[in-house]
Amino acid sequence: MVEAEEGTDVAKAGEDRDDGLLSRYFRYHRVHLAVIAAFLVYPFIYSFLSTAPVVGSTFDLFLPDVETMVFVVVIGLFAMSFDFISGYTGYLSFGHALFYGIGAYFVIMAATGLVPFLSDETPYLLLILYGALFATGAGIVVGLVSFRLTGVYFAMLTLGFAELANIFIRDWSYLGAAPEAGITHGPGFSLGVPYVDGLQVHIGRLVGDSFHSFFGLFGMTEQIAQETVSFYAIGLLVVVCYFALQRIIHSPFGKVMVAIRENEERAKAVGYNTYWYKLGAFSISAFFAGIAGALAAGYRRGASPDNSFDLFVTADALLAAIIGGFGTLAGSLYGHLFHEMLDDFLSTESHGLARYLQGIIPDSVLEAEIVGELTLQVVINGLLAGRAELYLGLVFIFFVLVVPQGLLGTIRERIGGTAAENLPDHLRRYIRGLRK
Amino acid sequence: MLQTKGLTKQFGGLTAVDSVDFRLEADELCSLIGPNGAGKTTFFNLLTGSLTPTDGTIEMRRDGDWVDITDESPYETTLGGIHRSYQITNIFPMLTVLENVRVAAQAHGGGDSWKLHRNAGSFEEYLEEAHEILDRVGLEQYADDAAENLSHGQKRNLEIAIALAGDPDILLLDEPTAGVSSDGIGQIIDLIENVAADHAVLLVEHNMDVVMGLSDRIAVLHQGSLIADDEPAAIRDSDAVQRAYLGGYESDEETGDKDGADTSQSTDGGTTAA
Repeated sequence: MVEAEEGTDVAKAGEDRDDGLLSRYFRYHRVHLAVIAAFLVYPFIYSFLSTAPVVGSTFDLFLPDVETMVFVVVIGLFAMSFDFISGYTGYLSFGHALFYGIGAYFVIMAATGLVPFLSDETPYLLLILYGALFATGAGIVVGLVSFRLTGVYFAMLTLGFAELANIFIRDWSYLGAAPEAGITHGPGFSLGVPYVDGLQVHIGRLVGDSFHSFFGLFGMTEQIAQETVSFYAIGLLVVVCYFALQRIIHSPFGKVMVAIRENEERAKAVGYNTYWYKLGAFSISAFFAGIAGALAAGYRRGASPDNSFDLFVTADALLAAIIGGFGTLAGSLYGHLFHEMLDDFLSTESHGLARYLQGIIPDSVLEAEIVGELTLQVVINGLLAGRAELYLGLVFIFFVLVVPQGLLGTIRERIGGTAAENLPDHLRRYIRGLRK
Repeated sequence: MLQTKGLTKQFGGLTAVDSVDFRLEADELCSLIGPNGAGKTTFFNLLTGSLTPTDGTIEMRRDGDWVDITDESPYETTLGGIHRSYQITNIFPMLTVLENVRVAAQAHGGGDSWKLHRNAGSFEEYLEEAHEILDRVGLEQYADDAAENLSHGQKRNLEIAIALAGDPDILLLDEPTAGVSSDGIGQIIDLIENVAADHAVLLVEHNMDVVMGLSDRIAVLHQGSLIADDEPAAIRDSDAVQRAYLGGYESDEETGDKDGADTSQSTDGGTTAA
């Protein structure tokens, strides 16, 4: 039996309308709170484990560092915006990097004074909003054209728009002598939040080396690393965006989106002018993709065609959505987390399994020739070191073939509803079963 | 309630619907019959705006006035009060049975569907309407099941339930008994009778027991033309209708009217009303 994917929440919301607002809120959001708490404590767990005696160096090799986690939440937001349109209305937006890129470039261009009528002193939070609105505008234009078609033709049209922008930005001499390499903005941004800016808590890595003075207010002498502060600041915005997207998905509008995905012909026949609903959903999705781009560029203090408008940026979102589960929203973030952790585990240049093996296996064994001139060292270098992307491709194939519902989608199917609602009860039953 | 004048639809060189003058009165149950390929589904698609006519007009009575709806698109005809069910089950498979009907009811709520900030479950009117309709078609006990898990007969009922949402003036039912077992047919007949009490119904149906038992009036399409339009008894006795259709109608599912005005008649058994 396939469980009904949508609609049960509507019935439930009707059932316990009488409960107090707060208790109802917490009942539905226990799992959300647990996930947020896990992200909140991660920097501390990471710093504790990676500096622990004896085992510390091992943890350091395998756990994603805080900087990686910043990109997990940022690209996670981008992947959620991709899932919002692709997973909920069924229209694959292969050109989603366009909106991400617009958000990214807008912020850096504004900060370097390249945007007319906009002071380069404009607070960062406002720049994010403007960038996202620009992305929304682009979404409306692209959508007006692309939604005249469906299926693969829609996907190709959006991809076409993104590639146009990609080619344009690579040769736009207005950006400087080497537009191909992108643009950077050296100094930090001020957030534009009263009192916070006064404390020099700009956005994390962007200003200053530590936040000693801020935490000094609370009697803490510990220095908080820049990327940790960025992680929290960016994470907070991502959480806000997630709840906004979730709100929309559970709204009457979101129900129409799902109806379009399920059966667009019937959605038209029951009275929806689906064109405008699709365009609305696409613009909203572009807005949040723009925010993600603006956050990434702000954190990097720069943007380049390769890390914004490129097709591979969309591919990251697609990968995250497929691993996490299409049409699950939060799944996309977990999907990207999985992607990054796998990347780190399977070793990048300085990280992961290859370095670990090279560390624990004595040099004599590593250097010993197995067959001919083939040594273990050569095998490790050839198959593991820096090869994460290769295995990621295999994982992608595995998910498409074996776990088509993705991580969160599969969990939802197992527990018969969204994790936020059903996981606590499911766990309780499971624990009760274990006790017997 | 609804009338067409000289309604014509051509696909290339083929005339699927040929200058049909048809009128449906309020509170009437009219059946549209004819052999496969006679143009019945094409006629439905023209009425609902899924197809644009080559020639002719469609008018509907709204708030006492006749309105030309020839150029309306499907969502406009629906919001204007013409709802349809489909010959081949056309539901939202992964949604719950309740949500299938609720989302259809919500379509009639004007700007409600654009309220991004509110929970869909807080619009009680659509939930209540959906529950009432499910009760009426006998699917209330399956409200929380995924629609795709329903049996074929139940899906046919859900088809009608979705069409009922938003309280239409005119219901177009395209072969509601298609593929339903003989036990299930009785139940669908009851349901059609029930909804015909407070809606104008235009019914396409191959099962002559259903057609003869329920209809106030029967219209016969043959090769795209309306060859008869009369009371059931008169239709039964009409020679022209006998020749064109009733001599040995098919009980197979129609595969679509675009294929051509196919007049070949199978010798498939079934209940022959002749």
